[in-house]
Amino acid sequence: MTSIGTGYDLSNSIFSPDGRNFQVEYAMKAVENGGTSIGIRCKDGVVLAVEKIITSKLLKPGANKRIATVDRHLGVVSSGMLPDGRHFVDRARDEARSWRDNFKTPITTADLASRMGNYLQAHTLYQSVRPFGITAIVGGFDAQEESPVDGEVGNGPSCGAGGKNPDKKYGGPFLYMIEPSGLYWGYYGAATGKGRQAAKAELEKLDLTGEGITLEEAVKEAARIIYVAHDDSKDKEFELEMSWISGKDGPTKGLHQEVPKALREEAERLAKKSLDDSDDEEEEKKDGDKMEE
Amino acid sequence: MFRNNYDNDSVTFSPQGRIFQVEYAAEAVKQGSVVVGIASKTHAVLVAIKRNAEELSSYQKKLFQIDEHVGIAIAGLTSDARVLSNFMKQQCLGHRLTYSRNMPVRSLVDMIGSKAQINTQHYGKRPYGVGLLVAGVDDSGPHLFEFQPSGMTEEMVAFAIGARSQMARTYLERNLDKFKTSSREELIEHGLRALKESLVQDRELTVENTSIGVVGYVKGDKEGGEEKKKKVEPFQVFDGQDVQRYLELVADDKKDDKDGSGPQPATVADEGEQMEVDAY
Amino acid sequence: MDHRPQAWGRPRDDVYGAYDGSYLNNSGPRTVTQSPVVTGTSVIAIKFKDGIVMAADNLASYGSLARFTDVKRLRTFLGTTVIGFGGDVSDMQFLDRHLEELAVDESYEAEPTIDEDDQEAKKASQLNAGNIYRYLQKLMYQRRNSFDPLWNHILVAGFDSASKPLLGSVDLRGTSFTSPSLATGFGAALAQPIMRKYAATEEDAAKLTREQAVGVIKECMKVLFYRDARSLDRYSIAIVTKDGIELKEDEQLEKQSWAFAERIKGYGTQTV
Repeated sequence: MTSIGTGYDLSNSIFSPDGRNFQVEYAMKAVENGGTSIGIRCKDGVVLAVEKIITSKLLKPGANKRIATVDRHLGVVSSGMLPDGRHFVDRARDEARSWRDNFKTPITTADLASRMGNYLQAHTLYQSVRPFGITAIVGGFDAQEESPVDGEVGNGPSCGAGGKNPDKKYGGPFLYMIEPSGLYWGYYGAATGKGRQAAKAELEKLDLTGEGITLEEAVKEAARIIYVAHDDSKDKEFELEMSWISGKDGPTKGLHQEVPKALREEAERLAKKSLDDSDDEEEEKKDGDKMEE
Repeated sequence: MFRNNYDNDSVTFSPQGRIFQVEYAAEAVKQGSVVVGIASKTHAVLVAIKRNAEELSSYQKKLFQIDEHVGIAIAGLTSDARVLSNFMKQQCLGHRLTYSRNMPVRSLVDMIGSKAQINTQHYGKRPYGVGLLVAGVDDSGPHLFEFQPSGMTEEMVAFAIGARSQMARTYLERNLDKFKTSSREELIEHGLRALKESLVQDRELTVENTSIGVVGYVKGDKEGGEEKKKKVEPFQVFDGQDVQRYLELVADDKKDDKDGSGPQPATVADEGEQMEVDAY
Repeated sequence: MDHRPQAWGRPRDDVYGAYDGSYLNNSGPRTVTQSPVVTGTSVIAIKFKDGIVMAADNLASYGSLARFTDVKRLRTFLGTTVIGFGGDVSDMQFLDRHLEELAVDESYEAEPTIDEDDQEAKKASQLNAGNIYRYLQKLMYQRRNSFDPLWNHILVAGFDSASKPLLGSVDLRGTSFTSPSLATGFGAALAQPIMRKYAATEEDAAKLTREQAVGVIKECMKVLFYRDARSLDRYSIAIVTKDGIELKEDEQLEKQSWAFAERIKGYGTQTV
């Protein structure tokens, strides 16, 4: 059944006779036109990456960041309508801040995903607003060790907080993806945007659920996947932006940070190399070295 | 006749995931006269063509100072621009008062971006019908941003918006590599040349219709042998006789275009009066 | 006798008089903090040629009771600025959380927007001590004008926009000034004269070495330990330079003791 012409798709929060909300489905169309974003949850951290299509030569290279920090340990990347992505980030920062105000401790990744899921869902309920034209990937590393309460000035009790099970593991890396409908799931590897199908296929090949891969491997895989998902017949050049989050003892010390330039360039070099190699296998006569920076 | 049902408000997605009202607002920007902005390592400049509604009326201002370190160029609905401009002025002043520093240009631009985005998501609101080029300096150097009615804000090396701005953008793309190291004067010259590309045939830049805005760093004075902080050259708009000497720089018609793309044919009527644009 | 159900279980008016509900009426003036409760004493700081040294003891007093002895009153901001708090400890915690929010805001912008290799510019675009100093001035003055002051006297140390060492003070009234040496609370009377001997002017301070400055501060902490009754020999000391902050939070004044006091007539609980 087509949605067009029925009248059920003309405003938000309207069900069609077969129980669909077309405006939400159309919002997802906006997502499908955006540059590919992916997230990888690995053993010791989370990696976020995005393919930034260069729409104009006049854009300042490297200046327009698409991955945002929400709290020190939380990062967000989204595909779809960029201004909606900014709105999402603004709201996420407000949520993280109000959580800190209330509980004097950083928000966990799961709680942030829940809050933001609710927020997006609320935008499907009313005719007075439209759904978000983005799918967002939220990555975070929740502290595994006992950390001080915000504003704590003394040494606190010499023993840890009560009610904790010593055998239970607390915190760790987490990854969620939130859709325009407000639906969200936790993921080991998440992909959205134009190249999501190819990216998903590549993510499924990684061993993320079992033994897991290391953060550094994940950075390299993320770069490779963005290169694989990029369709250079359709789109012009793109910039790769990547960020990562490790635990306290890892390279980012529990913070969400941009992947250092040297590592990113190394990952890009390997990504291009592996693309060239696979091209060679497919068409052995041609050397595909068209790839430039 | 086929009627597009998806373009009545800014809270309805089309089946392709587009929001027509926002796209129409972007058209209003194209109705405004052209403005060009370029940033180098030390300066950011804005240049603009001013229009007058009629022969005997004055010209509509295109460049506005926001704060000591920021200025904007507008294309589209002037009254919408005024709302944004007032907001930006307040933010800059508030920031200066509480932190005693220049507001970072990026945060300023993000704020109007967020403000504009809200207008594209709520029923009963309409998107702003104006595009801006924001030029400014802060502690991390000179910046140039483009602002669109959709709430999209992007940092550019150089850019042009408004009527027939594509020609100016082509010029900017051709000379892109030169801007970074350009001096203040060279930057203005490039801006005016880009502007000229967008002119309708047999119109030219005059002291009446040209505006130039400059902001940047001046070489800091050395104190005690130690390299001192760079000093800000406040955003300043040049109009009338003040632009004369710059116009002379580009008055020579021996163009320095290497690829010799001659003046483009002018077919578009520049003074399309469908909407009250850039008039007061 | 009143047998209505609404009077069940209530003290009888004829025996105890009518219930005095006056405390429920908010007709009087609204009152806010009238005095600090748990307090920290002096914070002292002095400039030297490469930066600033600041110190404060680790005591939080409840009136004259030495209530908490491990309280850290020197807080850092973005690894570039030290903020020392005298006065009410809960207001200090409020401010500390508030500054934490500001610091989180800064992490949003931790993206270098200009040449990627230009780390200097990135650092320059973050809030420095000058900005924080101004911010605290505005905050404290605004709170005092709403008659709900934050009961603190604050010292800020770091570098301003011109990369010069900055040492400033803000109090609960929003009064603020900078000086080559500063002290809050009793320190203003007891330590400031000592510090001024070494750094009366900016020029004098610019001649002091780091070791000399630390020496002066330690000397002052010693004097405060003996002359300020709400002080402790455990203290925190921070040294701010262009390279960052060295913060030690569990220092001990060496070989200092109040044991001699027992032999002083009239001191403590002596009966003879």
